[in-house]
Amino acid sequence: MVRVIVNGKEVHVPEGETILTALKKAGDAVPTLCFFGHMYREASCRMCLVELSNGKLVPACAYPVSDGLEVRTDTPRVREARRTVVEFILSIHRIRCWSCPRKGGNCELLKLATAYWVEGIPVCSSCPLYGKDCLVVKGEPCLGPITLAGCGDPCPSNGSPCIGCRGPVTRRDVLEAAAQFYVSNGVELKDVLEVASMFWEGLPNYDALKVSLEEAFKKALGGGTG
Amino acid sequence: MSEFNRGREALAQLLKLIPKETTPGALARDVAAKYGRERRYLIRMLQEIQSTYGYLPQEALRVIAKELRIPLTEVLTVATFYHQFRLEKPGEFVIMLCMGTACHLRGNAANYEFLRTYLGIKPGKSTTDDGIFSVEKARCFGCCSLAPVIMVVSRDGSYRKLYGGVTPAKLRRIIAEHRAKLARKR
Amino acid sequence: MGRCCGKCWHSLEYPCRNYVRCRTEGPLCHDDQRCRTLRSERIRYIKEGPNGYRIKVPLASCSIAAGAKEVLNAVKEVVESLGIPSDAVKTVGCTGLCYLDPWLELKAPGMPVALYGNVKPAEVEGILKKYFLENDVSGAYAIGERTGKAKGEGDVPTLSELDVWRLQVRYVSRNCGVVNPESIEDYIAYGGYRGLDRALRMSPEEVIEEVKKSGLRGRGGAGFPTWLKWRICRNQPSKEKYVIVNADEGDPGAFMNRLLAESDPHRVLEGLIIAGYAVGATKGFIFVRAEKPLMAERLQKAVEEARKHGILGKNILGRGFDFDVEVILSAGAFVCGEETALIAAIEGRATPRQRPPYPAVVGLWGKPTVINNVETLAHVATLMAEGWESFAAYGTERSKGTKMFCVTGAVKRTGAYEVPIGTTLRTLVERIAGGVKEGRKLKAVQIGGPSGGCVPAHLLDTPIDYESLRDAGAIMGSGGIVVMDDTACMVDVARYFTSFIVAESCGKCFPCRIGTKILYDTLTRITEGEGTLEDLEILEGVGRVVRDASLCALGGTAPNPVLSTLRHFRDEYLAHIIDKKCPAGVCTKLLKYRINPDKCVGCGTCAKHCPAGAISRDEKSGKYVIDQEKCVKCGTCVTICPVNAVMKEV
Repeated sequence: MVRVIVNGKEVHVPEGETILTALKKAGDAVPTLCFFGHMYREASCRMCLVELSNGKLVPACAYPVSDGLEVRTDTPRVREARRTVVEFILSIHRIRCWSCPRKGGNCELLKLATAYWVEGIPVCSSCPLYGKDCLVVKGEPCLGPITLAGCGDPCPSNGSPCIGCRGPVTRRDVLEAAAQFYVSNGVELKDVLEVASMFWEGLPNYDALKVSLEEAFKKALGGGTG
Repeated sequence: MSEFNRGREALAQLLKLIPKETTPGALARDVAAKYGRERRYLIRMLQEIQSTYGYLPQEALRVIAKELRIPLTEVLTVATFYHQFRLEKPGEFVIMLCMGTACHLRGNAANYEFLRTYLGIKPGKSTTDDGIFSVEKARCFGCCSLAPVIMVVSRDGSYRKLYGGVTPAKLRRIIAEHRAKLARKR
Repeated sequence: MGRCCGKCWHSLEYPCRNYVRCRTEGPLCHDDQRCRTLRSERIRYIKEGPNGYRIKVPLASCSIAAGAKEVLNAVKEVVESLGIPSDAVKTVGCTGLCYLDPWLELKAPGMPVALYGNVKPAEVEGILKKYFLENDVSGAYAIGERTGKAKGEGDVPTLSELDVWRLQVRYVSRNCGVVNPESIEDYIAYGGYRGLDRALRMSPEEVIEEVKKSGLRGRGGAGFPTWLKWRICRNQPSKEKYVIVNADEGDPGAFMNRLLAESDPHRVLEGLIIAGYAVGATKGFIFVRAEKPLMAERLQKAVEEARKHGILGKNILGRGFDFDVEVILSAGAFVCGEETALIAAIEGRATPRQRPPYPAVVGLWGKPTVINNVETLAHVATLMAEGWESFAAYGTERSKGTKMFCVTGAVKRTGAYEVPIGTTLRTLVERIAGGVKEGRKLKAVQIGGPSGGCVPAHLLDTPIDYESLRDAGAIMGSGGIVVMDDTACMVDVARYFTSFIVAESCGKCFPCRIGTKILYDTLTRITEGEGTLEDLEILEGVGRVVRDASLCALGGTAPNPVLSTLRHFRDEYLAHIIDKKCPAGVCTKLLKYRINPDKCVGCGTCAKHCPAGAISRDEKSGKYVIDQEKCVKCGTCVTICPVNAVMKEV
């Protein structure tokens, strides 16, 4: 057995194990994305990084333990690294939460984004309404697809359309896809803007956002700038 | 930007780029057999195919995949990752510009733009419409004292000549020289 | 190279233990004055040429590109008509004084050795006549020791008087430009394979101990102690082990390995065989880039020659050591310079692996593998022949020995130079390489390629060693040094290196795959005048994470050019962002373009190629004019104008 110090706590794990095993034993979990037991442990996603006493950041899922190894799971550098990795992932992720099978609280990205304070995922990601229960599908101007997630969805869960209290999603590609979603369900721009102005009027980027939404809807309706 | 995203672009888009050649996969079959159809010699097989045609015809890639019993995507990951491999038929002459640091500082970035404009190569392509010249970026030839450096090779690799101290004026002469060479051959 | 007479019993089936020494000191297996005389005359012939006549012509990639083949043909045409034996002409490798390419080195009995630089084929006859027929060395670039018998001797400097030669310590590069790289006989005549001979007389453990005492650290860039890597591998219980030479040399702007491998390939091979012996491997690989074809050819030839003479194969030098080497051509990927990626490339696709376990424990096909750089192995061969003290005599406390550096860019004398570690950048750049050209100012020195950083001019007295360079924000890297003067834009340089990394990223981990692209896009925006101050924060924040979180050293060092230029040249970034100006006049989108009416000949080429249709003909003057409102600042007109009439203004 090998002695490992996790955040100041001593645990013992068999030799040949990875830091991840030691962390689990100590009860200090770190997020993993690509780790899949014996099938995949190539340390590609870099989410499970922990800090060693010499300052190096190493992936817990692949780094072997050694006697006296000291690891920290929650230092500022580790947090910055994890947050930036989530930002990287989101920057290339195709956000279509309203039709994603992970919707309703099963989205790992949403969990990570919330844990590391990264904004960009819309309310639909955690909203429990799906398919024909979705308020947009019913033709209502629910702001879920263009509002930032994180409130716990009390409004849509209780049958009331989202009113955007956490602020808008600003990524152009998401707005365009959302406009498509609205249009295909017969929701009109003016209704969306009427609800949006309740909480968003007065926000510094609201005018720019209105322009983006107008262009997105125009594009979705087929007569746009393309 | 497509140059940088080669491995990342959707596979369908990639396959669209590969011209449909009627080149037989017979060479591919022979090459695969020569290396015992072992996956670990894939790079060498691709190198041999490229040394014959100057690029990797789609037909050959399909046959290699079949012979090695691996998916075509796996062959393509290797073929698109390495700089040496071409998936498009190059021109009779390929002009490779060194993208080393010294060459970049001494003007090869401008030379590259100049060549594309001068030869009329359309955006997204690397070969002239008449199929005579291709313009490519090469990593580094290691002849930094002669920066900026280009190398002109023939499609089948039998001819190669390195030029140093290249300027747009010199490039005009080199292009003319090679057009004449081609005319004499034909 | 074979038996000298019937009494000599050496052959490939019965390799002689003293084969190497016998070639230079022998014959050793029998005592015959005639054989001895024949042998020593052969050595003299190799070293001094027929009757003391020698004409050396370099044939390395750089020399050939500069026209050495044409010079060689010119030499061959006239040599006999001048009464010089035609076998006096010898093709050699490159000395590293690349700014002299193509050069000629002449020797006649009684005359000093004379070196002529930048020779044109038409000048060959004149040069040879002057030297051989008139005993006149004037016009030479430099000479060897003065003999008092040549005309013009006093006016030509000796090589030992020139800084570019005097300040070098040519430990591993001693044969470059001296021996014929395609001849194993040459190599042995000049003392080659002595290191292998000595190593095979020791135990592998003793060999490792010798390398340990020398203090040799890997010359590929990481600087890991070579002996330690060997010992770890040696201690692995596996029966199958491998040694690999990393001859991939992907750094743009570095060609030390190419030079060594083209000019003295046997030295590298010798080092590889010694390494194989030390760790207990039976197979070695030389992993070389297909883009450097001559390098691959010469190494392949060296392997074949070594096999023919029993230096490779079964029972090498009769010591019971079996070892063979295979040359593998890489298809060109920068990441192959990384150890685990190199192994993966031999196995299939080059993506690096998380370490530990290190290749010395689990490497090629799962077996313990040692990977060494070309220069490291050349050092091994040399120090095994001469003793560890010869190596440790140079260098600093923590980094012993010498290293080869390629100095290119805006210097007067581009070339590859070998100096002791600890030499200052100033010595290397200004005294050896001659400093920047007339009228220009030195701005920065870039070291370490895309993984390295830029050292500003005011830090030029930094000694070149692993630790000092790291503190200055750069790395030693494989030894590529690019000198930049005031015509270089540091933001453009950072963008250039980052674009290289983006193209070469294998894509396995998020930070490198996405983070470097974000860095590149941000830098592009800045060079096009669309940058904001927030972008500087993005560069630093993203750069930090890419550095700390990437899976391998490619991503780990990718932000170095950006971070070091931000640290030392922040004012240039601010000029691009706040003033929307490029002070060095490089970033095309920030310049104004104007056609000089005095130079314009009215051909209209610029207008034809202008993508924005911004150039039109002024009817009155017949000259062409650029409409600044329509101009998209692509810079095409500048390069396409046949008379260079378009001016760039900051």
